[in-house]
Amino acid sequence: MLILKTYFQVLKKYSGVVILFTAILLGFACFNFKTKDNAVGFSASRPDIYVFGEEEETGLSALLRDYLEEYANIRKPVLKDGGSGGDPQEDEAVEDALFYRDVAMIIRIPEGFGSDFLDGKRPALAVRSTKDAEASYVEMQLERFLETAGTLQQAGYSEKELIKRAREILWETVPATAAGSMDSEALSGATFYYNFANYSLLAGCVYAIAMILSSFRGKQIHRRTVVSGMNYRILNRRLLLANSLFTLLLWGLYVLISMVLIKDVMFTKHGLCYMANSFVFACCALSVGFLIGNLVPGKEALSGVINVVALGSSFLCGAFVPVQWLPEGVLKAAHLLPSYWFIQNNELIRKMETVDAASIKPLLINGAVILLFAALFVALTNLLERNSRRRRA
Amino acid sequence: MITHLFRGQRRYLERGKRMKKIIEVENLTKTYQELKAVDNLSFFVEEGEILGLLGPNGSGKSTTINCLLSLLHYDRGRIRIFGQDMTPDAYEIKKQIGVVFQDVAVFEELTVRDNIDYFCGLYIKEKALRKQYVQEAVELTGLEEFVKFYPKQLSGGLLRRLNIACGIAHRPRLIFLDEPTVAVDPQSRNSILDGIRVLRERGATVVYTTHYMEEVEQLCDRIIILDRGKIIAEGTNEELKELTGIEEKVTVELKKIEDRQVEAIRGLEHVKEVTRSRNLLTIIYGEGTNNFGKLLAFLEQESVRYDKIYSERPTLNDVFLELTGKELRD
Repeated sequence: MLILKTYFQVLKKYSGVVILFTAILLGFACFNFKTKDNAVGFSASRPDIYVFGEEEETGLSALLRDYLEEYANIRKPVLKDGGSGGDPQEDEAVEDALFYRDVAMIIRIPEGFGSDFLDGKRPALAVRSTKDAEASYVEMQLERFLETAGTLQQAGYSEKELIKRAREILWETVPATAAGSMDSEALSGATFYYNFANYSLLAGCVYAIAMILSSFRGKQIHRRTVVSGMNYRILNRRLLLANSLFTLLLWGLYVLISMVLIKDVMFTKHGLCYMANSFVFACCALSVGFLIGNLVPGKEALSGVINVVALGSSFLCGAFVPVQWLPEGVLKAAHLLPSYWFIQNNELIRKMETVDAASIKPLLINGAVILLFAALFVALTNLLERNSRRRRA
Repeated sequence: MITHLFRGQRRYLERGKRMKKIIEVENLTKTYQELKAVDNLSFFVEEGEILGLLGPNGSGKSTTINCLLSLLHYDRGRIRIFGQDMTPDAYEIKKQIGVVFQDVAVFEELTVRDNIDYFCGLYIKEKALRKQYVQEAVELTGLEEFVKFYPKQLSGGLLRRLNIACGIAHRPRLIFLDEPTVAVDPQSRNSILDGIRVLRERGATVVYTTHYMEEVEQLCDRIIILDRGKIIAEGTNEELKELTGIEEKVTVELKKIEDRQVEAIRGLEHVKEVTRSRNLLTIIYGEGTNNFGKLLAFLEQESVRYDKIYSERPTLNDVFLELTGKELRD
């Protein structure tokens, strides 16, 4: 208990900096969520479109219309002459609707589209769009439809078989629902939080652990401890216990904050993945703290080294900026840092549709890499300690 | 010189047979590559005494202490403390030892009381007993007013006192003090020396390492003088001073003296040596009583004019000078 009590007494002196790192994380996380709330981002809204085609659509034309209806609201234009529908090639109202963005797209299916397509002619659809995100999305679906139908036609399917098979393929993947898109936003928030936690957790852990170890293992205090009645191995074990307890508490605090800020995610399987991943990383941060505490002599030098390690690895590995913005060379170098694997895991969790045995396999592999790093740091620390003991003798 | 040394050693060895030995060192040798830091050292420390290890910087004092505490491996020899071989794992022996190192070893992040409590806690598990011991150490070192201070807020002297409190709070039977008064103001130094006397009165055996001969003279029951890793003399203060063959040293700061008068002083009874350096005349007496009075009478009679005149007993520096031909602080 004496070592534990003294450990936390010493920690009190350095708690200000740890709180600062936590405050930075909290500040950035709140700012991120606020920005997301105000931003005009992706929503599950279905764009309005006009589709003009044959008088009586059958076969492939009907299938196309059905498919488009999955992704957009097909509206009928109100024409100036008072009617609606038809093929108002010259009607200004249709043009105005596109110009004023009442509709995102106008698709004209040419006469005989179905039969020509089955003959292998590939008739062109006349498409005009606002070119915005909504229109692009519908356009992508349109291309998907044509590619799928084209492939089936080339495979020699009859019209009936083609429509049946295309329906199976195209309807297999259901478009994202409104509920799904909300999760995706929350997952992005959680990923941002945990990516940024890479910096705060690493800096906080390493700073406190290295500083405290530097106090306990400073040359003079070390000598006084070695000549005392306490077995130095027992002291080391108690220090390890105290450091582990501190790391656990800090990790717990960060998880607790995430539970408050991102409760939609943190109480799901995804949340569990984030927690487990950050726990593995916290273990690694503990080992980095031990290594730096043993490697760097003097507390003055320690502050600088900790900043370089925590900030450097966070920048290189994509804790502050999205990974895809980083140059390839930087990312290659980042493979040598545990932060990279931690952040990669956060990104994988964000992209996971469902959490099952197959989807968590890459997470486990990355987690194992992080633990390997931790083992390497522990081995290095032991080596340094052995050398240091030999030098002292 | 060698005869004197052997005589002193003989007395010392005879006494060692009678008293209970707390530390026994036999043929201790420690080398750093070509340098023999400690050269075949043999000595013992008796229960309840204050033993002074005196020697200039680099004489092997700290190396000896570090070997005794198993902080350093040594090449040859045997060290027994409380009758048992001292090894790095001899925790039962270590529990009865207190060490005050030359450099201050305290936590900057802890208050004075918490520091003493921590280091005492390395030996004493029971909380209530520890509290009592910590309070005693605070009182012994005069730190009552500073218990809530952090080390950075203390002066050099107070910091040294804290260093001592941390080393002795657990009431050790054997205490090693390695130059505890280096860079300390006179007030703190006196307080530290008084504290060491109190510890001895309480039954502790003390090994005191220093290069301040005055401290050794004031404090130690027995003294070992080291030079280049070897014991060059050992015994009590008086025994060591006998080695010099000096009874009294009189120094005169002259205004004027004739050569004839200097020669006359050389001829006075018990005068062993007279040296003159500019206006300083040093007269060394080998034996006799009232030498100073007789010299004053002679100077009066010869009308020798002087500014100051003072008499000194031989110091350990004189002993060192006699034995090695160099000053202790060279």
